[in-house]
Amino acid sequence: MGRYLLKRIPSALVVLVIASVVVFGILRLVPGDAATALAGPDASEESVAAIRRQLGLDQALAVQYVHWIGDLLRGDLGPSYAVGGEVADLIGEGFGATVELTLGALLLTIAIGLALGVLGATSRRRSVRGVVQALTTGALAVPPFVTGVLLVLVLAVGFAVLPSGGRVGLFEAPDLELQYLLLPALCLALPSAAVVGRYLKDSLQQAFSEDYIRTATAAGVSRRRLLWRHALPNALPPVVTLIGMQTGQLLGGAVLVEAIFAWPGLGQLAETGLTARDYPVVQDLLLLLVTVFVLVQLLTDVVHAWLDPRIRWE
Amino acid sequence: MRVHAPPASPAHPQLPSRRATLRAAGAGALALGATGGLTACRSAVSVAAGEGGARRGGSLTVGIHVDFTPALLFTQSDQALQQRLIYNTLIRYDEKLRPQPELARSWQYADDGRSITLKLRDDVTFHDGRAFTADDVIFAVENLRKPERSAQLASTARAVTGFQKRGEHELVLKLAHPVANLFDLFEFMIITDRHTLDDALKGRRLNGTGPFRFDRWRPGTGVRLSRNDRYWIPDRPYLDSVELRVYSHPDALLSALRSGQAQLSYGVSGKHLAPLKAAPNFRIKRYDTGSGAAYVGASVGTKPSDDKSFRQAVAWAVDRERVVQQALGGYGLPSAAPWPRSSPAHTEADRIHYTHDPGKARALLKSSGVSTRTRVPLGHPSQPLHTAIAEIVQYDLEQAGIRTELQPHDSATFQKKLISGTMPALWVNLHGFAQVHPATLAVSAYPFNEAKNTSGFRSKAYTDAVRAAWQQRDADGPAAHARYQRVSDQLLEEAFIIDLAIQDQVEVAAARLRGATLNKFSYLSLDHAYLA
Amino acid sequence: MTSTVSSAPAVRRGTAARHPYLAALTTTRARIGLVLVGAVVLAGLLAPLLSSHAPTAQSGRALVPPGTGGHLLGTDDLGRDLLSRLLYGIRTDLEVIALAVPIGALLGCAFALLAAVHPVLDTVVQRAFDLVLAFPGLILALAVTAILGPGRLPVIVVITLAEIPVFGRQLRAGILVQRERDYAVAARVGGTRRARLLIRHILPNCADPLVVQLAVSLTVAVFLEGAMSFLGVGVRPPEPTLGNSLSQALPYLSQAPYFAAGPLLIVTLLVLGLSLLSEALNRETRR
Repeated sequence: MGRYLLKRIPSALVVLVIASVVVFGILRLVPGDAATALAGPDASEESVAAIRRQLGLDQALAVQYVHWIGDLLRGDLGPSYAVGGEVADLIGEGFGATVELTLGALLLTIAIGLALGVLGATSRRRSVRGVVQALTTGALAVPPFVTGVLLVLVLAVGFAVLPSGGRVGLFEAPDLELQYLLLPALCLALPSAAVVGRYLKDSLQQAFSEDYIRTATAAGVSRRRLLWRHALPNALPPVVTLIGMQTGQLLGGAVLVEAIFAWPGLGQLAETGLTARDYPVVQDLLLLLVTVFVLVQLLTDVVHAWLDPRIRWE
Repeated sequence: MRVHAPPASPAHPQLPSRRATLRAAGAGALALGATGGLTACRSAVSVAAGEGGARRGGSLTVGIHVDFTPALLFTQSDQALQQRLIYNTLIRYDEKLRPQPELARSWQYADDGRSITLKLRDDVTFHDGRAFTADDVIFAVENLRKPERSAQLASTARAVTGFQKRGEHELVLKLAHPVANLFDLFEFMIITDRHTLDDALKGRRLNGTGPFRFDRWRPGTGVRLSRNDRYWIPDRPYLDSVELRVYSHPDALLSALRSGQAQLSYGVSGKHLAPLKAAPNFRIKRYDTGSGAAYVGASVGTKPSDDKSFRQAVAWAVDRERVVQQALGGYGLPSAAPWPRSSPAHTEADRIHYTHDPGKARALLKSSGVSTRTRVPLGHPSQPLHTAIAEIVQYDLEQAGIRTELQPHDSATFQKKLISGTMPALWVNLHGFAQVHPATLAVSAYPFNEAKNTSGFRSKAYTDAVRAAWQQRDADGPAAHARYQRVSDQLLEEAFIIDLAIQDQVEVAAARLRGATLNKFSYLSLDHAYLA
Repeated sequence: MTSTVSSAPAVRRGTAARHPYLAALTTTRARIGLVLVGAVVLAGLLAPLLSSHAPTAQSGRALVPPGTGGHLLGTDDLGRDLLSRLLYGIRTDLEVIALAVPIGALLGCAFALLAAVHPVLDTVVQRAFDLVLAFPGLILALAVTAILGPGRLPVIVVITLAEIPVFGRQLRAGILVQRERDYAVAARVGGTRRARLLIRHILPNCADPLVVQLAVSLTVAVFLEGAMSFLGVGVRPPEPTLGNSLSQALPYLSQAPYFAAGPLLIVTLLVLGLSLLSEALNRETRR
């Protein structure tokens, strides 16, 4: 497995380099720059030019790129042009918030997905399977921005049980933070949970239909042991890959959820940064996200290879 | 053959206990989290609803829809509420645009209008303990002049040519010529600490003389302020702390107000106020600041907007009443002129100079000879309010025979086109700066600027009218009104900026909040605010 | 993105492969799905016939409740008939997803086939997929729209880009598994050229999960369009889509719920129908 890992690393690095060029290029393609955004709605061209000079945006593109990469390699993420402060601080704040939200959503995804999948595959009663099916399809069919708004209307405005949005900080007030976290994490998790649930159910059904299960049952192995020792481990690999891909989904879906619930995470930061054409923020952030994704992909591929030897020797 | 056949099939393992355990574990985990949060310690909902029953003390949460942007500290932007909380200005306009003392105790404007003497308060200290002196005023004026600050009132600041200090608390400002909107500058200009300017622009440390000290700014979350115990108004402020919280999506802001998480907001658009209008624990107040006015702009260098009859046809075609009712939710004033009712330049005749008259529009269109076969591009920012106004304008123009095509742009792209003057033939946007001195509109606000504006319009008559209105001492009186009338006449006749409606500033406050006010530049003042 | 487990069972010849699909379409599940999807598609196609007002015609009466003044579903905040906006919205949505998803699928499959040719190409294609998947979809949407300008084009581009790696990975995984199957090994040993083996034998056996994926991707496309409208980028006004109708309606949810009810119901029915179809197909192709 070490060799597998070694083979994957150079290509991952190439991806990162290409990603940096793509990110840099896309931002320069988008019309307008931080100077226009900073100058405000009634600025004169003279103001814009002065700000542009101040920010170093009048230099050649290649020079700007080299400066950016050079600073990054030295660990300096640079100042934010438009949002304010240092990019490292902004990303740090946002990162904590988004990781919290994503982890919460991931936990809920796994818990709800596991429950839905196992129930849907193993329940004897048609009604239970039907309810699970309905819940799954419902969670998939309603767009997340609608579930978010509905959740807020019912639980925060209607019955003031949970707060409607915002964040306190995990280390400042953990008991309050969990309440702030519940609704957005749930909203984010529902579609993913439904997807995981459905694929786990299919995967389990597939596993149960294999010959060796039937043989084992005939030999008298208990159902419980079958599920946990044989069926689930065989059913899990594709689901693990799926969860890996869902993580990317969750990060992407966080943009919407963060908007609805005023959760100050990386999604909000990216949107604000892009709107304000704050190049350092968006560049550093996107590159960070690509890096995280590549790492997660690497990890899930390794786990997948560990679980399923067939894939390893490709 | 189906996998899920009769119950005896091996595909239905009987695992009641495992399944039950699974279910219980899952449900338990969720319940534990929820109840642990809800009952064990505090409830986030009651904590957020604000404490403080008595007159003194308490914490106020203000919902803002755009985050604090320290880089824009010296520009008039969408988010200016914190300016008067952390800082002070030299004067404060009352309802009739008469300056009242703030950091400046009194002033003497010279008869020839070429200098003004300010007597400043001597009992003011910055949050870090340093005393406020005339040097701080000098710094503030010089700071605003720099192009990087992009201050809309820079031209007025540049009219100040010299300073003369008479002791630490008296200052004479020498002016290049009489300046009618000098007090607009004093209402706008915040007095910041010159030693910590870089920190302020980065959002790390904001040092001012205002009623609240800057604690911290968490990007994306908001700004936290706490009471300044050494404020120069004795026994003020009443509140212990203020938090400006960001809710960038309008639904989130509305929910925050309805659930009590926020007790004050100026960011709710008029359209969405219906659920709050009936609520007993909310007060909705309209401010006629005229801080924003919707208009249709025309690029006079581009066909068909180069034809004045065409532009005037557009002015007759739009149903301004409908713009106010449907796009602004009724919180606005239909007006063909940019002046709100509180402005000295406001006249009813100008307001209804153009009304909804498709017949007249069609006649003018015909006489202009402009071809109606091609679609005229109509640019607008892609925000919901601007989109709604643009859709109304498009429909009304179509009824008059002018077919348009909407071209939405995100705000940065739109801004770029606005500043570089590369707008299409017609566009829709909001402008400010009509709420203070009339001259400020034409020497600051870019769309109206007589020297260089987005439309590319220049005329001697307009320039003369604007200069006459600006470079004189008196702001009121029949002579001044005559000068403003000349400016209005030019604007209405040339129709390169066609005003539609003046937007009210809407304040949504919890019923128990008293004493919050807004100045003409939308700086929030909580000097005398308290939670009952 | 969502994907299914690709584990096609053993050898199946071309003609026999159709039977599971037809069999799937006759189950109750699939029938209901077809009815739902069919109804929605029909409503969109017949929009000009079924609506009595133009979708962009503004009357002076905003937010009237359903049934008043000839407006079957009421009007929106600018006085436009909700029924016609709904029908034309379905039409626009269908136009967008019917174009974007198949193109994305085709391109994805093309890349997967390319990857099957040589191990180096395989690595390149895989990393390219990683690159596309790494960008949060909505950020990509904002950037693409800022470059291309709002309208249908960026929505189509974003959906296509989102689907390419999904289909690509699916097919690639399927090819990998099929390549090791006895029939494929036998064919190679027997001298069949690689390309012929790939296209005539392996590909049809990988088709099943792709067909299921098609149904799933259509629903994702509906959501993507809605999310883009929610964030303020997307199809140009005043053209209605299901997504921008929903996002316009959300602030009025408590005072005028009928505003949001129409698009919400349609989106749910459409997604439900497609889900049922994909379920039915999935079940049949598993056996």
